[in-house]
Amino acid sequence: MKKFIFILTATVLFACNSGKKSDEQAYLESLDTLELDQPVISEEVISDIIQQIPSPLEVSFLLKSAGSKYSVDMLNDPDNISNYNSSFEKALNLGIYGTDLGYANIYEQNQDALFYLNSITSLAEDLSIGQFFDFGTIKRLATNSDNLDSLLLITTQNFNNINEYLQDNQRQNLSVLILTGGWLEALHIVCEVVNNNPDNKELVEKIGEQKIILDNIKLLLGFYKNDPYIADLHKNILKLEEAFAEIEIIYTYAEPTFKEVNGMLVIEDNSTTTINITPENVVTIRNQVNEIRDKIIS
Amino acid sequence: MKNIMKILGLITAAVIFSFNVNAQCNAEALAQNCVPKLQDGFTFLKTFKVDGLGGAKSKVEYSYVFSKDTQYFLNICAASDPTDGIIVTMYDSKRQIVSTNFNNGKFYPGIVYPCNATGIYYITFTFQGSTNYCGGSVLGFKR
Repeated sequence: MKKFIFILTATVLFACNSGKKSDEQAYLESLDTLELDQPVISEEVISDIIQQIPSPLEVSFLLKSAGSKYSVDMLNDPDNISNYNSSFEKALNLGIYGTDLGYANIYEQNQDALFYLNSITSLAEDLSIGQFFDFGTIKRLATNSDNLDSLLLITTQNFNNINEYLQDNQRQNLSVLILTGGWLEALHIVCEVVNNNPDNKELVEKIGEQKIILDNIKLLLGFYKNDPYIADLHKNILKLEEAFAEIEIIYTYAEPTFKEVNGMLVIEDNSTTTINITPENVVTIRNQVNEIRDKIIS
Repeated sequence: MKNIMKILGLITAAVIFSFNVNAQCNAEALAQNCVPKLQDGFTFLKTFKVDGLGGAKSKVEYSYVFSKDTQYFLNICAASDPTDGIIVTMYDSKRQIVSTNFNNGKFYPGIVYPCNATGIYYITFTFQGSTNYCGGSVLGFKR
């Protein structure tokens, strides 16, 4: 009986104690431990940072709305897949191909999209996450331009599901690599477009804005820098951080105003950001991005 | 000994009850139900699960990097009435309010947020007069 009471009490205490800390508290505590050799970062904190990273699709939509023409030459060759042997390489390039797929989809380049889809499916299967790609449905949607919304919905959900699955199964390191690859490819594409259109202020600012996401990527990779592959990538990301060092993002808050439109609340955001970035900064960032990306895709 | 057993019995019942309440909230399904309700012209970004653990949790929070010159749409779905007392409030990185679905005493099922300032934003779900403390939400964007 005593044993039963002990086990029951322990179970109850454990259940009561397993409540999550507030995200902010957990995050601040994790920052305090970053300098330790073996940082103890909770999965919750890593997940919180991962989910902040915006979808590369946003960049592709921006490029299209800015009038930039589709250029497959900027993208990673789907046939490069045979170069990727380790899980590290596969995860990074899965992210890269994911961005390329989104870019091709948005520009309705169905044939290219299918090539990327093939490479993605193959890499995902190698990483034991192939079950999240509904190849048949995506292929069907990709062959008809009228299905763009559904296509983007399904592919985005597939990647979201992969990230959730990897985080639930203590494989966040792969999730971090997929996101890093996806983000780096989006940054690479914008840099290439700006290289040909240096006066496009909106796109130049988009490059500068990436300083915010770079902070998150650096933080995430830093959690895994005991892994020699990730340590090397982390070092390269620190070099990229130096290239971003001069960029200023100045935020000015102003209270929002509200109005009702068609039963929805429409907010007027009166806050602003000013992004100070020079053409020289863009060149430095582009060179650094290309150096890192070349190592990853070759 | 009888008293100890009684107390343990009560604690166990409370824990089992809290697990049951939790199990009743299928936030994932509610979030998925919300996807088709994304306003026309917006591209899907992600779903958010809102599980207030039957009232035991007062706040569910996520964060996301919003970009300037981009419009975001965030809707809320609940099992009973459209929002079931779920309030979504968005804050900037300095925790200053930038948007909410609760204005002048009225709950709105969705908000359109035209972002003017790139940065990290907190998306916070709280409850006011909620029955189930359970819902889902979808974030979309358009240029």
